[in-house]
Amino acid sequence: MQEILQYIFSGITNGAIYAIIAVGFSLLYNSTEIINFAHGEFVMIGALSLVTLWGSFHLPLPLAFVLTIVVVSGTGLLFERFAIRTVKKPDHIVLVIITVGASIFLRGIAMLIWGKDAYSIPPFSSNPPIDIAGARLLIQSIWIIVISLLSVVALYFFYNKTLTGKAIRACAINKKAAWLTGIPSGKMVMLSFVLSIGMGAVAGLIIAPITMCSYDMGTMLGLKGFCAAMLGGLGSLWGALIGGFILGILEAMGVGFVSSSLKDAIAFVLLLLILFIRPGGIIQSKDVQRF
Amino acid sequence: MKPIKPIKKTVAGRFPRDKIYYIFFSLAVILTGLFVSNSYYLQVLTFIGINSILALSLNMLMGYAGQVSLGHAAFYGIGAYTTAILTVHYNLSPWLALPCAIFIAIFVAFLVGIPTLKLTGFYLGMGTLGFGMIVNIIFREWTDLTGGASGFVGIPSLELGPVSFYSMRNYFYLVWAALLLSIIVCKRLVNSRIGRALRSIHDSAHAAEAVGINTRNLKIQVFVLSAAFAALAGFLYAHLVSFISPGSFDFMMSVRIVTMVVIGGMASIWGSLLGASLLTLLPEWLHAFSDFEMVVYGLILMLIMIVLPQGLTKGLIDIYERSKKKDNS
Amino acid sequence: MNVQRKKTTAKFPLLKIESVYKAFGGVQALLDVSFDVEKGFIVGLIGPNGAGKTTLFNLIAGVYSPGRGRIIFDRADINKKKIYELVTCGISRTFQNVELFESMTVIENVMVGQHVITKCGFLGAISSLPWILKEERKAKEEAMELLAFVGLDKYADKKSSDLPFGWQRLLEIARALASKPKLLLLDEPAAGLNAVETRQLGELLKKILNRGVTMILVEHDMSLTMEISDKIVVLDQGEILAVGTPREIQSNEAVMTAYLGK
Repeated sequence: MQEILQYIFSGITNGAIYAIIAVGFSLLYNSTEIINFAHGEFVMIGALSLVTLWGSFHLPLPLAFVLTIVVVSGTGLLFERFAIRTVKKPDHIVLVIITVGASIFLRGIAMLIWGKDAYSIPPFSSNPPIDIAGARLLIQSIWIIVISLLSVVALYFFYNKTLTGKAIRACAINKKAAWLTGIPSGKMVMLSFVLSIGMGAVAGLIIAPITMCSYDMGTMLGLKGFCAAMLGGLGSLWGALIGGFILGILEAMGVGFVSSSLKDAIAFVLLLLILFIRPGGIIQSKDVQRF
Repeated sequence: MKPIKPIKKTVAGRFPRDKIYYIFFSLAVILTGLFVSNSYYLQVLTFIGINSILALSLNMLMGYAGQVSLGHAAFYGIGAYTTAILTVHYNLSPWLALPCAIFIAIFVAFLVGIPTLKLTGFYLGMGTLGFGMIVNIIFREWTDLTGGASGFVGIPSLELGPVSFYSMRNYFYLVWAALLLSIIVCKRLVNSRIGRALRSIHDSAHAAEAVGINTRNLKIQVFVLSAAFAALAGFLYAHLVSFISPGSFDFMMSVRIVTMVVIGGMASIWGSLLGASLLTLLPEWLHAFSDFEMVVYGLILMLIMIVLPQGLTKGLIDIYERSKKKDNS
Repeated sequence: MNVQRKKTTAKFPLLKIESVYKAFGGVQALLDVSFDVEKGFIVGLIGPNGAGKTTLFNLIAGVYSPGRGRIIFDRADINKKKIYELVTCGISRTFQNVELFESMTVIENVMVGQHVITKCGFLGAISSLPWILKEERKAKEEAMELLAFVGLDKYADKKSSDLPFGWQRLLEIARALASKPKLLLLDEPAAGLNAVETRQLGELLKKILNRGVTMILVEHDMSLTMEISDKIVVLDQGEILAVGTPREIQSNEAVMTAYLGK
């Protein structure tokens, strides 16, 4: 019992991170139908930026947070402006190669800046872990879960309650019709990129204290976040959240009860299963036709 | 209605022209082998040959039948690991291991293809990605059999009677002969009833069904065929380098194969050769950049796709024709 | 008209629709529709918008299977057949919006149409044995002959997407004929054609009939339908309103009401 609880704690912690990465995929897919294979790299840049700003420069944590998100989103903006918008023929396969190219490029840049070493930083607060029924819950885990849930709720309100959020959704449903009603669809696509990549930055921020951060940490995180997004239902905010947590918990259970060598396989087995059984994901987006 | 210039020549076969290409190709290979003595260059050329077989195999699936695969490296890996395991652990002759490797790739492709090829477009890409990742994790984690993450050492080099393929020049000839064979097979397929049916699926799966094509079966068949060729490439690779590790067959490799096909030009057999050459040579040239290698590689990939999304062959032809039109007017 | 009398004497209809019913969710598209298509006929399927013509057409073409009732073709039940299996049985179709294989040449399009009457498989293509090459040559000749039949033989090596729309339609018909069907289903073949092209189409359909191909035609162009059809089935709100010769239909009061309203 104690063991299971411990696995669930670690599963939820990882799940929250997968969820927030998955949200990034879903946001972007919803408004542009692009799968950004460089998404994991933005998570990596987020984590390493925090390492530098907070760990080395000793800036106050909130300032380091804001700066990191600004830096990463700014990179995302440049990415959209120069790599995505300039594409003449936005085929799926061409975009896949471009985003993979971008991921190699970003990894190369990160290697030039931070080198090949792995860094670690202390948790956000140094309180001792909480003891619940014999299982230890790290304070950093609470940080991670709270921050990711808050981000998703904030996004939900942004999309459903603000005019800009509604405009993005309108663009996602029908670009031309949205354009005819006076919504600047180009700007909305840009905003989607910034939001999506901003979510990547948040994921990088919260994961930094619980892992070794290095220039090549992003790829696997990105792919797993993507699996979580597919599992929950690509394009759905709540789906991404559910997919993330399911993946996190199953992974923790698999590692705990079977073997740690299974860890990475679970995400992809789940991906295949969901594709074969219910390609739309657990929360099937209403217009699966489009995808 | 726009008037269209009628074409006189209609049923003129394209087979003779192909034969001339094959002869030129063989001559070029033989001469290259004779005049290039630097074994580094020969090795690079050999890698180009192996990658061309890979690109060609994926092109049949992706360029002609229009089915995207982001997990093709898995079959490449299956070919390489099967021959490695059989020749080292079971002391089998490599020439017997080859059919086994191809057979296993075919078998896996068949099993995986049945559920996966039900998916279309984007979802198919994701399904194959998942499959590729799982196979790669198996290579990495089944340590007893595959040597795990640290790799598989000591794969024997090939010998055929008195001819040893330990010599780089002989291996070069072997690989390029295999490539020529693959090209001939693919060319014949493309210009046959099967090739037309494949292309019809790409153009409109809807209409393909309506003319009586069992698209599901055909997709599985071409998936299996492409897996078989990838396994052949894996076999050639394993016996060339004698050391393989999971890193050579990961997601990045799958993407690299896709990139070869797209850069060379979808549905173009000679284009696959061009794409494979470029993507094999690029990292070699980029070694000079040392730390900047990844940055430059990523940039070049993005640039080619932004500027020439239809691939080099078609893209360059387009540019040439546009400039010609400008000259005329 | 007297030609038609002779035709009706055939004992078994080529296609028999037996009390077919089809609903989509709560919408009943077809309610108990039955009629026969005799061999050697051109049967026109008409009716106002939403009458169920397209549903019926798609049922025969195998896109859907009927909720109730049977469709019998050549004395065999084809309810459960897949689309591609129907072509082997002898049913071929065209599309309302013309669906050609656009990356292929004109002749290649026709040759794809020969898929079910040729045999060469993967191994055959790779080995290129003499009989395969012979089959390929023969297929090409037949394809050329079909192109000549619809008048496109001069453009055999053109890319099919470069043809003007009217010719694309002819090419699609040639492709449908390439499988040597017994029954040809034409989905609004005159849509998008001008008056001259429509007349040429009518001539072509008559020529196809002379080759012994039975046809079912869904068409909005009344003059074409009335001119070439041997028998007309009028659908209205999922039911058969009238069946008869063009002359009978033209003087049928129920049909007039359905089309013009009271």
